[in-house]
Amino acid sequence: MVKYRINNHIRKLRFFHNEMTQQQLADKVGVTRQTIIAMEQGKYSPSLELAFRVALAFEVPLDEVFSYDPETESN
Amino acid sequence: MSFQEKNITASFVIFTLILGFYMVRIFQLVQSGSFNLMNMVRLWGTVIILGIVATIIGTILTHIGSGIIQAIKTREEPVIEDIQDERDRLIDLRGTKVAYFVSSIGVFLSMLTFAFGQPSLVMFSLLIFFGLVAQIIGDISRLVLYRRGV
Repeated sequence: MVKYRINNHIRKLRFFHNEMTQQQLADKVGVTRQTIIAMEQGKYSPSLELAFRVALAFEVPLDEVFSYDPETESN
Repeated sequence: MSFQEKNITASFVIFTLILGFYMVRIFQLVQSGSFNLMNMVRLWGTVIILGIVATIIGTILTHIGSGIIQAIKTREEPVIEDIQDERDRLIDLRGTKVAYFVSSIGVFLSMLTFAFGQPSLVMFSLLIFFGLVAQIIGDISRLVLYRRGV
């Protein structure tokens, strides 16, 4: 059964961006801290717009933040 | 627990209490033999007004309670995240969908009792009963979605 198909590296990227806090990222992209937590835990797949805003906040391309794992789908 | 979750929990508690009050009141009316249109309409009004007033008071108290708890915990001026972002809106939408589904089944069952020859009072009391149940189930599904993820 598929649970979460979209993976992300938000936690790692936060760490490499001067240990940015979840609240700082939330303020930057305009969501609540709980949404950032849910995204990091793989409990929420963001909209395309929010995904772009997160990538923009880290100044990296979208595919460096989010990845789609086709193998998870077949399991 | 986020502010939205606290608000939904408050709504869940309020509507469970209102449902309890409604059931007890119906039981009392039936027991005393005064289960008539006048009393039923009065009960309808009471339940609706109770729902509106209690929800407003519940939201205000949740705001104040959250602020006090946060101030005690952090010893700083409380900042309450009462904004609704896309995740909150999605969860709210799904909860509303569940509530509408339960409500639709409730309306169907209520109509069915009328179709099978029960008095219209039974149908009206079932309508408000299922309305309250739908709200409670909607709140539960929202809380589950916040915990389990969407």
